[in-house]
Amino acid sequence: MSDQTAIPLEDTRKAQRISPTVVTVATIYGIVALMIVASRLVSPSFGGLSQLETILYLSSFLVFCAFGQGLVILVRGLDLSIASVITVGGVLSAALMDGSNAGLFYVIPAILLACALIGVVNGIGVTVFNVPPFIMTMAVGIIVYSLCLGFTGGTPRGFPAPVLNDFMGSRFIGIPAPVWLLIAFAAMGTLVQSFSPFGRKLTAVGNNPEAAYVAGLPSRRLTVSVYAISAACAGFTGILLASYANGATLRMGDDYLLPSIAAVVVGGSSILGGKGTFLGTVGGAMLLTTLATILSALGIGQGWKTIMEGAVILLALILLRDTVFDSLRAVLVRKD
Amino acid sequence: MTDATHPSVAETRAARRVTLRHIADSAFLIIVIYLVMAVVYVAVQPSALSAYSIESLFNNSLPLMLAAAGATFVILQGGFDLSVAGTISLVNVVIATTPMEGPGGALALLALAVALGMAVGAINGIIVAYLRIQAIAATLATMIICQGIALLILKAPGGMVSDFMVYELTASLTDRVPYALVIAALGVVFWTIYSRTDAGRNLLAVGQDRKAAALSGINVQRTEFFSFVWAGAFYALAAYMLAAQTSTGNPSAGEPFLLLTFAAVALGGTAFGGGRGGVTASLFGAATLMLMQKVLFAMGVSSFYTGVIQGMIMITAVLFSAAVHHAASNRRGA
Amino acid sequence: MKVTNKLKTLALAALAGTTMLSAGAADAKTADGKWLIYLSLSYSGNAWQSEAANIVKALAKTPPYNETVELVEVISGTDPQAQISDYESMIANGADGIVSFPISSNALNRVVRRGCQEDVLFFMYDGTVTEQCAYNISFLSGGFGENTAQALVNELGGKGKIFLSRGVPGNSVDERHTDGAMHIFNQYPGIEIVSEYYSYWDDRTTQQETAKALAAHPDVDGVWAQAGEYGVIQALLQADENRLVPVTGENSAGFRLALANPDMQAKGLAGVSSGSAPAQSGFAFKIMMEILNGEREPLPEGERNIEYPLPWVPADAVKMCEGDTFEDGCNVFGEDKVPSSFVSEVFNPELLPELSLTSALDGNPTEGATIQPLPEGAVKRAPDMPGINCRSCEAPDNQYDLTKIEATVQP
Repeated sequence: MSDQTAIPLEDTRKAQRISPTVVTVATIYGIVALMIVASRLVSPSFGGLSQLETILYLSSFLVFCAFGQGLVILVRGLDLSIASVITVGGVLSAALMDGSNAGLFYVIPAILLACALIGVVNGIGVTVFNVPPFIMTMAVGIIVYSLCLGFTGGTPRGFPAPVLNDFMGSRFIGIPAPVWLLIAFAAMGTLVQSFSPFGRKLTAVGNNPEAAYVAGLPSRRLTVSVYAISAACAGFTGILLASYANGATLRMGDDYLLPSIAAVVVGGSSILGGKGTFLGTVGGAMLLTTLATILSALGIGQGWKTIMEGAVILLALILLRDTVFDSLRAVLVRKD
Repeated sequence: MTDATHPSVAETRAARRVTLRHIADSAFLIIVIYLVMAVVYVAVQPSALSAYSIESLFNNSLPLMLAAAGATFVILQGGFDLSVAGTISLVNVVIATTPMEGPGGALALLALAVALGMAVGAINGIIVAYLRIQAIAATLATMIICQGIALLILKAPGGMVSDFMVYELTASLTDRVPYALVIAALGVVFWTIYSRTDAGRNLLAVGQDRKAAALSGINVQRTEFFSFVWAGAFYALAAYMLAAQTSTGNPSAGEPFLLLTFAAVALGGTAFGGGRGGVTASLFGAATLMLMQKVLFAMGVSSFYTGVIQGMIMITAVLFSAAVHHAASNRRGA
Repeated sequence: MKVTNKLKTLALAALAGTTMLSAGAADAKTADGKWLIYLSLSYSGNAWQSEAANIVKALAKTPPYNETVELVEVISGTDPQAQISDYESMIANGADGIVSFPISSNALNRVVRRGCQEDVLFFMYDGTVTEQCAYNISFLSGGFGENTAQALVNELGGKGKIFLSRGVPGNSVDERHTDGAMHIFNQYPGIEIVSEYYSYWDDRTTQQETAKALAAHPDVDGVWAQAGEYGVIQALLQADENRLVPVTGENSAGFRLALANPDMQAKGLAGVSSGSAPAQSGFAFKIMMEILNGEREPLPEGERNIEYPLPWVPADAVKMCEGDTFEDGCNVFGEDKVPSSFVSEVFNPELLPELSLTSALDGNPTEGATIQPLPEGAVKRAPDMPGINCRSCEAPDNQYDLTKIEATVQP
């Protein structure tokens, strides 16, 4: 709704040369930076590079699955199955690798493919059978979780490949390997979402599915592939989580469902589709993780921590509102 | 998006087409699904018809039914409300920590609960309708805040609920009709009247097409705002009946409701994105979900793979309702 | 009326010297004369839950129960309403007994009371309900929180910065553990709790939450943890692979192996493994079967809270098992046999000699094992814990008294 009214406004102000997307993304990273600096008040060990490193490391899991979630949201969908698919990724990597490095190069693709197939089921349900994404992905999530439960008998066995576990703990040029992975992933994700024909098509489908269809875009195929990507990303997250913890648990994905949606939306994407950047999502994930590390260090009761968590998310949303940027731009223009 | 079929087609032979469309749009389908399931259940489990079984089934289903009814108001106008989990937890602990005995006390608590629920709803409404924050994110934040407040009020399950609420509200009228069923029926009556008022029609109109609604003079923001307030009131009722049924408060009482509520609404056939569906359908959708638990048990599907069947039933029910709807739209187009 | 009938039948059967089997046949409610027992799980999402369930399944397949028991497993998810619905169905189906992990300590009371009126025996393990007609078999009253807290204080010499890695917010078990621990920590002004976080009794969540806390307090001196403790060790190693600190936690194989590992000890790891044992389910099941079979008198209402002994394995007591069961005082299995999240306390040589590793992992009976009667004096009444195992009751004054360890440092 707000987007629809915002679009014409933008057109008239092209001359300003400040794209609202850039402002949004800059604001998120600004808030994150502010939070990190301010956190020195909470603990003297905070506010430095080591805290940034921890935040990047811990937010990487959320970033990986939020990329898929972001693409799904871009085409007006929602993926509630990612919690279960993360579990699938973790359970399969523990079971198939079973503590050995052998065969890693076909086991990982096999797991990602298996997860992507789950996504294809989601996508077909949503596009071909017109099941609302919410109910389709939730039902598939329940089914997949239940299969995991039956497959493992409740106890996931085995260990991921030791080389993966070592990777999660290793450093290159003084920076943890998963942080490098995060940077590479963010670059690639941005390229795919904002600067590739595929990404532009998705934006078109999200902006107006009917118009995209009329324009000859294969909206169905695009949508199915988006769900497949989302599930593959969730599977990837599961593999890394299992490697990080050196084993799988059945509830390992639960902590990522709502945060993945929150990261995407805090990152400036519209839940109504057609608008959003991956860099924003990465910022959103970092914001949530930074908040969690700060809250963890605060010596206050859980009730207050929870209230503060909600309040900060709300505040960030209000700060990132389109109208705030509109007035900001108005001020900037006047200065010129 | 398939529901975006506006009454723009010529209105000849309207009567016949409208019947099928009416059936597809109303709660009729989910009522049929519910009845079929009920027949299956009674066939496998003859004791299901005992007064006690009926009473306990409805007592157990009512909180989810009320929560789904509330969420429907928001979903109908095209919004989203995750705060259901937080609101139920919050109201639930407030009831359990505010001891008031007897019928008078129960009534006072009911007023307090509904007022609190509407207050949370109003905050959601202001944030979403007037501050223009995306509903799913805004209500995620208010849900988290409500959960925090609930933990401040009661840090572990406990508290007391008056004997009147625990025993009288969960009993049956003249030992035959459970009060829970009466309350659910009142919900149906309420919606039947409300959906025929201007406010009810506006709700659907806004969900169908915001711009058109605004052009035709509907105050869109006001409609959005009140959908959250009504939702809050129903969540509070759900929390109130949950307290009566479980006789305690629990700071995380609302958590299981989060996804189930939306599943119930979707099962009822209400379209996510707004414009089509109704509270009655959601009440039956929720009742169907709870009945499904019974049917699965009665059929002996009860172990690891229960979820597979649950998921399949959800998808099938939605597909079935969509198929009928599709048939209705096709015939309309023909 | 029904109760007296049942007792009469059992008494007659005992008088006539008939076997257990025919006593069961005379009275059980299934068509083929077996006892109909439901195993109700509220949440089957981690190793602990499945081990507890497997133990009951294995016992039900061990002779003579394989002839006399029909066990039906039901998983109700995480929603108390679903478990209520399932209990109702079990009662309607004519259950003789329900062995259950209850999801809520009080939401189930109504249906439990109703089941008791229909002569259904309720045996709750690990978690408890406050309805007095149900039997609660739990380690909760054993004082996990205060004993492990004292062990940590002893290791730290009475001062230092510590983390509390707790369970699930708003959960009564977590509250009881933490209240006990705080009772000890509050006596030592030198102990400073610098971070307190919820880890949902999950290894991976614990690891991430601990990593967050370590970002602010890399100089932590010790960690008091509930289940998920192996994640604490992994997070500590991740932050600095050469520095560990004393950690107290529950019974995962990974944690016990680490405690006994000389390398880890050299890095500074010390502590104790204690806490919730999946074997509680087996103990509950055996008491129930003995009551059903008339071998044990039912306890009067109000005295049905039974304590499961608190496991207690300090670092120097960890002993690797060579075989598939707890023999010669061994208490942990190697990485080649079980995953690190495996909860080691699945066996109890005194109470449950029938079990072996395959029972815990796959729910199979041990070859050649038969059900042994519970030893004399095995069933001990647990003290009242308001809101946990009773409603209008008072906790005894000595509820936080240490039972496993003594204070070696004075406040």
